Amino acid sequence: MSATPERAPAPQPGRVTVFRFDPEIDLLPHRQTFPFPFEPGMSALDVALYVQHRLDGTFTFSYCCRNSHCGLCGALVNGRPGLLCREPATRAMALEPLGCLPVLRDLTMDRTSYEERMLPLRLFLERSRPPAEEPEHVAPRDQERFKVASRCVECYLCLAACPVFADDPHGFLGPAGFAQLGRHAFDPRDELDRRLMAATAGAHLCTGCGACDDVCPHGVEPCGIIAELVEG
Amino acid sequence: MAAYEASKHGATVLVVSKDAPQRGGATIMAPGAIAAAGDWAVPGDSPDLHLADTVRGGSFLSEQGLVRLVVEETPDLVLELERIGAIWQREADGRTYSLRIDGGHSFARCPFLEDRTGREILRTLVGELRRRGVGFASGTVVLKLILHDGRVSGAAGLDLATCEPVLLRAKTVVLACGGAGNAYANTSCPTGVTGDGFALALDAGATLMDMEFVQFFPLGFCFPHSLRGCLGGLLFHVHLLNNRGERFMERHDPERLELSTRDRVSRAMYTEIREGRGGPHGGVFADMTYQEPGFIERMQPALFHTYRKIGIDPARDLLELAPTCHFFMGGGRVTPDWESTVPGLFLVGENAADIHGANRLSQNALSQLLVSGARAGRAAAGQARENGQAPVDPAEAVAAAAGAHRLLARGNGIRPHELRDRLREVMWENAGVYRSGSGLQAAAATLEELEAALDSQSLAQRTTRYNTELVEALENRFLLTTARCVVEGALRRTESRGAHYRDDFPATDNRDWLRHIEVHRSQTGLEWASAPVDLCEMDPGDVGRG
Repeated sequence: MSATPERAPAPQPGRVTVFRFDPEIDLLPHRQTFPFPFEPGMSALDVALYVQHRLDGTFTFSYCCRNSHCGLCGALVNGRPGLLCREPATRAMALEPLGCLPVLRDLTMDRTSYEERMLPLRLFLERSRPPAEEPEHVAPRDQERFKVASRCVECYLCLAACPVFADDPHGFLGPAGFAQLGRHAFDPRDELDRRLMAATAGAHLCTGCGACDDVCPHGVEPCGIIAELVEG
Repeated sequence: MAAYEASKHGATVLVVSKDAPQRGGATIMAPGAIAAAGDWAVPGDSPDLHLADTVRGGSFLSEQGLVRLVVEETPDLVLELERIGAIWQREADGRTYSLRIDGGHSFARCPFLEDRTGREILRTLVGELRRRGVGFASGTVVLKLILHDGRVSGAAGLDLATCEPVLLRAKTVVLACGGAGNAYANTSCPTGVTGDGFALALDAGATLMDMEFVQFFPLGFCFPHSLRGCLGGLLFHVHLLNNRGERFMERHDPERLELSTRDRVSRAMYTEIREGRGGPHGGVFADMTYQEPGFIERMQPALFHTYRKIGIDPARDLLELAPTCHFFMGGGRVTPDWESTVPGLFLVGENAADIHGANRLSQNALSQLLVSGARAGRAAAGQARENGQAPVDPAEAVAAAAGAHRLLARGNGIRPHELRDRLREVMWENAGVYRSGSGLQAAAATLEELEAALDSQSLAQRTTRYNTELVEALENRFLLTTARCVVEGALRRTESRGAHYRDDFPATDNRDWLRHIEVHRSQTGLEWASAPVDLCEMDPGDVGRG
């Protein structure tokens, strides 16, 4: 066991370059660099909050739960999709919006258009008859697949990582949407043909590159879900 | 839950929220389980025993008639959630629920899904509401409830996308806004949990009670700053050490050690910290190095991931943790339909004072949330059928929004986050784990100063589109109202009970204080009273009936 530390380590100088864009004012985005006191263990969210509270109150980003549940604080942290609350800060860092959806202001994205695409997917249990017995029998394998797909918090890091979505955002729903659909496809009680829905949403376009799996903060592995939706 | 039940009973429902569905509120954070002694109860367990555990855990300040409703009705709602989409974790046979136990429960009785039970509840309900075509008005902050002849008739607020006034007409209103964790420096709550429901209800004339009872979970992160207060460990997986390496619970509760009650562990930690035996970030140290290799990773995978992200290896390092504000037991006085003292206004979840008494038992929050929501939703739909829509004056919305617009135009003043930081510090120091008459008086004086500064808050963000700083400024009013109820209630309660501990009155006083402290707003200010507790099932001298 380590000895109890008596003092927090002294902060070191850090610098963060952030993406700035306010569509009400700016013609084009620009970058702005701010100094911050770097301490080992601090997160990218700490850095963003430092900038907003101490240096420039107009710097905007979204967050709510501080601990990876709300899916709001996704951004490119040093070029890689990550949740601000989960990514460790570095002494020299860059924060950019995820890039897969329109920017509302600075790091905040407009999720509306993507969320509207979810509505026709009927992301709820579709069944015509009440259960015959309660609790119902759910096979362990079905339980497991349902459980893993249900971990998705719709943070859209996977959308930002997906090369197919970048190329064809209208023809290919993207890993986030397919993970949501997977929850219901794997639910043995559900009576809709979710695989047909996946096919019409372009699931077959997935190349299986696994970029979405690499960035998912909850280990959902959308790539495997899409493969199952395609192959049945 | 209320929206679902009201829709099921024929009402036209609109769900109004500051955040988008599943993007905010306390329930998405709930890692626990749903306490319910249903058909799955192990031999010896029963709703009666669940009731007795709850009442004892609440130091006999629970409204026992309401506890009875919750313990009897939760089991069917656990199944109802499965009927509409959830799947709770099962054993290998695929049929038997896996069950959790936690402090204060006599048996394992709580179904769950991983450490995401709250989210599963919300995902299921939001999906079902979409299926039913229920409307959502996300991005709306409600600033005021509107009354007509003493009955609620709607609400006024602000559309955050445009800063335009919003006028809502409603025959009944259900508030489910969560607690006010952000009144404290350390909290496990998301940023939007700011006492909106307490303040809106109080301002509409509803009676609140038990507001002095605030639960502190012992193990919250201290560092990094953004994680401060988030749940950082489990009491049954850690030894707690001070900065001398002493396992200090040996002095505070030698028998149960870290498995003592949450309030005792929190007080012991706070004692070590304030007497100079804490760590550099204001906490004490959780030692998990004695666990067998791989144990922590296996048992708490999400937390393990967080440890690694902040540079802590639990097999080797100590983790600094401090108590954190977790839950408000107090709220509106309610009927068995969870209707407040204002006709047509229902208060559910953390906004009601009902079953938790002076301290909430773990896993009971989700049970209470389901039953209160279902009952309120049903009754609200019934009243909506029987009552016409009372007139609502559009000027109400314009007036409510005008305050927000004034904030956007103001020059020099305190920034909203600075005001909030001051509030959180003063509450943490004086109205937190330990309280005293002098500390609470000092807090009351600071709250008065901050209240005076509310209208002079000044924003760096002047935009009218999704202005997050404006929301923070508006929420500060709700937080201050709630904080004032906590502080003044705590001053009046000259005893210690459950989560409320007075240095100057350390004993529980059942003779004088087995009573609720109530507050309501009148023309002249806050008016305080006390009221008896519903002891219809058992009293402190009783071993329980049935």
